[in-house]
Amino acid sequence: MLEPYKKKYHTNNFQYILVDDLGCVLETDNTLFTVQKDSLLQTIHPFFEILNSLLQIDNDCFEFSCINLNLEKKVVIVDTIIYSQNKNENLIIIENLTKHYNNYQLAAQTRNESIINSQILELKNEYLLEKETFKNNFIANFSHQLRNPITASIIFSDLLINSDLNTEQKNYLDIIQSANKDLKNRIEDILDISKIESGKLILTEKVFDLKKLLNDIVNGYKFLASKKGLDFNFVIDENIPEFIKGDQYRLKQIIGNLLNNAISFTTQGSVNFKIALNYIRAKKANLRIEVLDTGCGIASENLDYIFKRFSKIESENQNIKGSGLGLAIVKYLISEMQGNIKVESEINKGSKFICNLSFKLSDYNQILKEELLSKQLLGLEKKYHILLVEDSELIQLTILKILAATGNFFINIISKGEDLVPNIINQDVDLILLTNTIQNFSAMDLTASVRNLSKDYKKTPIIVLSTLAFKDDVKRFKQAGVNDIITKPFDEKKLLEKIYKYIK
Amino acid sequence: MTASKKIVLLGHFGVGKTSLIRRFVENTFSEDYQVTIGVHISKKTIEIPEQESISLIIWDLEGQDDLKKTRSSYLLGTNGFIYVFDSSRPLTFENLNSELKFLKENYPNVPVKVVGNKMDLVNKTYLAQYSSVFKPLVDFFVSAKTGSRIETLFSKLAKELI
Repeated sequence: MLEPYKKKYHTNNFQYILVDDLGCVLETDNTLFTVQKDSLLQTIHPFFEILNSLLQIDNDCFEFSCINLNLEKKVVIVDTIIYSQNKNENLIIIENLTKHYNNYQLAAQTRNESIINSQILELKNEYLLEKETFKNNFIANFSHQLRNPITASIIFSDLLINSDLNTEQKNYLDIIQSANKDLKNRIEDILDISKIESGKLILTEKVFDLKKLLNDIVNGYKFLASKKGLDFNFVIDENIPEFIKGDQYRLKQIIGNLLNNAISFTTQGSVNFKIALNYIRAKKANLRIEVLDTGCGIASENLDYIFKRFSKIESENQNIKGSGLGLAIVKYLISEMQGNIKVESEINKGSKFICNLSFKLSDYNQILKEELLSKQLLGLEKKYHILLVEDSELIQLTILKILAATGNFFINIISKGEDLVPNIINQDVDLILLTNTIQNFSAMDLTASVRNLSKDYKKTPIIVLSTLAFKDDVKRFKQAGVNDIITKPFDEKKLLEKIYKYIK
Repeated sequence: MTASKKIVLLGHFGVGKTSLIRRFVENTFSEDYQVTIGVHISKKTIEIPEQESISLIIWDLEGQDDLKKTRSSYLLGTNGFIYVFDSSRPLTFENLNSELKFLKENYPNVPVKVVGNKMDLVNKTYLAQYSSVFKPLVDFFVSAKTGSRIETLFSKLAKELI
């Protein structure tokens, strides 16, 4: 009964070939492929060239599995057994397993592709990280190189504005000052982004006067808006706390960037700034900050895009200044502060940015108040000796002009690191201003050489004028015994505030 | 008479052994990866200047991350090995030392050429990064995609087999 079924379904997958010791075909059943009697099997496929060496060995058996044979325009995948015998008659059994191996091939293909892709992805990530690190280091170094000339440009413009200038010259100087400010802001933005991307941007937490900060911000941007002919309205909720704990500089940056944007993209109408207390819970104040403008607005499809770095939405007004980094920085800072931001906008009607941020509450802090007041100390009873260690002539001249104008200081300037110790031994020095870019010496080494002299010099205030602005750099300076750091570019106010803080 | 020599290509999967052979034998290249299972065997006769011609029977083995897993029958009667790795994937050359040791111990008289494929995907900085691995062990950096140095690789090995 089975025979008819076997005839119907059985497939003979075996071919038997008898060859002599040279590979010459003696007999075959030609089940899988045709081989002529008396032909050399080696001519059928290069695989059979192996016979040349194997058939020299008598009475052995060799098994080869999964051999891909391209034969007579068909491909078969076979297992082969070769029995070499000593009577010039060798048996080759070939089993066709094409279907079986093709199934295996599919599985192997999927597995290998997946492994290779994951390895490639891993490598690509490594490369991207390396590139990113290189880029961030480059940006940081490059921006440091720009700090000295910008500092000089800012300070000399400030000094020049108080000199005897005619109206035309004052107008030119206004443009220079505005360009300086713009350049300084862009460098700070680029540096911030590189800090963010390298994970080096760390928020500080200090008590500060929130109301004073807001008043400063409002005054600054009110002026900017009025210069553009815009109304500037603001509402500061009376219930917001006076003193809070957080990063004052970064909060100012968030609000500043939002207001800057609003003013930049509004050609007529108003910019409105509102800050209100949402709630106080668990010794934290949650603030709602709103910036509303009547500017060109943002298309809904661009609302997500605006928070990406270097994104500048195509606008009719192509002259709008900015690096395209401001909102990316805002978004990052808000997220680091565990807050949130959203934007509502309508084309040609305006935009509204709303963010909510929490800050720790602080008790009224008398010490802080005194500290703030002491910063405003201006008159001094005697003249103090400042030793400036700086190899940039531009910065030497800049600082000399600022300090000389106060009439409160004797200034001694040296350009070489090796002159520092002899100078402070031989002369009175009340404070040292020390650059971090002096040739052959690091500011840390020079500070250590002063601190190691004797007890008398342990307390001499040392302020580093630094082109390095990362948190790690500041930490290293402090560990070396530096009292404070002024980051370049700085202005007159910043320099004097720090000096007055440390001289007694 | 033309002598036949068996050359076996070894190495991890996806390193481009098949592409390397196709470039050498057919002078073609495809970006599509198709896994090799078992073994594919091809043949090419090359002329050795001032000497006889030689038929290279090239065995393209399915990729293995460990040579010990290779079916020993495939390696029977081998006259020369080409160990191929993917220059752009460190995992394919991280065990190079032990793989070569295995070949030297088991096939002491068979010449081995160590080849870094996909040279077109890496740059000098990358090569410098792995120079401690590459310098002492690698004979050729090639690219099956561009064809770079593939003829040289096979003819150099062929000369050693005569």
